[in-house]
Amino acid sequence: MVYLGCFSLMDNLKNQNIHIYSVSELNFEIKKNLEAGFSSIWVEGEVSNCYCHNNRHVYFDLKDENSKMRIVMFHEINKNLLFKIENGLHLILYGYVSVYEKRGEYQFIALDAKPVGRGALLLAFEQLRAKLEKQGYFDLSRKKPLPVFPKKIGAVTSTGGAVIRDMISILSRRFENFNLIIRNVNVQGPSSEEEICSAIDDLCECGVDVIIIARGGGSLEDLWAFNTESVAQKVYRCSIPVISAVGHETDYTICDFVADFRAATPSVAAQVVIIDKAEVTENIKSKLNRIKLMVENKVNSSTKEYYFLTERKIFTRPKSIILDFWQGFDGITMRLREVTGKLINNKTVQVSNMQQFINKRKILDKIVLNRSFINNIVIRLFSAVRGKLKAVKNNVIVTLKDLQSNSPAAVLEKGFALVLDEEEKNVIKSISDIQVGQNININLKDGILLSKILNKINKKLGLEV
Amino acid sequence: MEIEKMSFEEALKKLEEIVKELEGESIQLEESIEKFELGVKLSSHCLSKLNEAERKIEELTRSEEGKLIVKELKMDE
Repeated sequence: MVYLGCFSLMDNLKNQNIHIYSVSELNFEIKKNLEAGFSSIWVEGEVSNCYCHNNRHVYFDLKDENSKMRIVMFHEINKNLLFKIENGLHLILYGYVSVYEKRGEYQFIALDAKPVGRGALLLAFEQLRAKLEKQGYFDLSRKKPLPVFPKKIGAVTSTGGAVIRDMISILSRRFENFNLIIRNVNVQGPSSEEEICSAIDDLCECGVDVIIIARGGGSLEDLWAFNTESVAQKVYRCSIPVISAVGHETDYTICDFVADFRAATPSVAAQVVIIDKAEVTENIKSKLNRIKLMVENKVNSSTKEYYFLTERKIFTRPKSIILDFWQGFDGITMRLREVTGKLINNKTVQVSNMQQFINKRKILDKIVLNRSFINNIVIRLFSAVRGKLKAVKNNVIVTLKDLQSNSPAAVLEKGFALVLDEEEKNVIKSISDIQVGQNININLKDGILLSKILNKINKKLGLEV
Repeated sequence: MEIEKMSFEEALKKLEEIVKELEGESIQLEESIEKFELGVKLSSHCLSKLNEAERKIEELTRSEEGKLIVKELKMDE
């Protein structure tokens, strides 16, 4: 049904002779009308979403409070623009509206751009200054010192102007035998930028000690060559100290910022580049006088010192010095004796005090020590005695038993006899205890045999005695 | 360093050092006389350096072959 409906609508329209566009056809028509209607116009707005591909074509939006549109600036236009298109810039663009048929989109093709509120040159100047500052071109730490006395001064300037005349006259006044080598350049105009760059190279090559880049005052436009990136780079990379003297005192250029020294004017550059010969000569002479004077003073004071020394006692009356010395020595000895005596006394008293103290303490300590030692011994003694007593007791018992078994009565019982002398005082143990003829008492278990010695026979000899 | 070979700046700096050294209290007589002699030589070297150059104003150009050319430039002051 839907298909049927469509077909029937188409047929209907065709029948009524109404033209139906294809998309391409319509876009083509729009392009034709738009480009014809807006072919050469100015548009004002603020830059946003800026994008530059490979430093070539720039794409961005131009907007106001309510609306925005796509802008393209092609490389051929962009490269000739003094400043760089950046977000936030307020611009007036010149160009035309174009339709990109393939997408059915339109955009504004910018052929020129002018900043609103300030000149393009000033904007470009500020942009380059910010860029180079960020890259460290103006760092004070990398600025080279100027030579005090350059043998050869290089100048990049126009030989035609008053500038070089002024400089030469100042140089002549300060240092009449100066040596100046000038590289003539156009200081304004399209070729000036390149000429200044190669002039710096040429002067470096011919071996100058310092380079002055000089130009008289002028508008920002006149001084433009000195605000270009290529000149800034040349000065930045120059191995020889560079003095920038461009314009009047109030004019500042990028070259001024990059140079090792900024002279307010070319005349000032001529003044700072070389010493004032008369002044320096005077200075050297005064230095010479000064050292002369100082050495003279030194000689005078040394002479005085010499006389002062030679008049001293050691040279005039040397003996008196020895006497003085002895006197001093005696004094010292006496004093030493006195002091040491006192010191020894003090020490002796101290020592005896100490000794007493030490003795008392020692004895007390010993007593305590000994007391415990004695206690210990007593305890040991008691236990030893107790042990000993026990042993003795045991011994006594054994002995008693022994005694009982070995008592004379028991022995006599066994059949042994106890021989005593007549008086029954001495036990006869040996034959020598008794004489032949003497009486003896032989005690047996049950009585006494009263006997007389008839003879004695020695056991060993077997002989009668 | 030999004085003859010194640049103006070096000789002037050395001379200033000598002035300072001689101003110091500690310097001995003999040394101060040596310094003085050196100072005299340095100052005369400086003065001769100031006068040795010849006044010259030249212009530097490049020939068509790219060679640097230096020629005297006549200038009325």
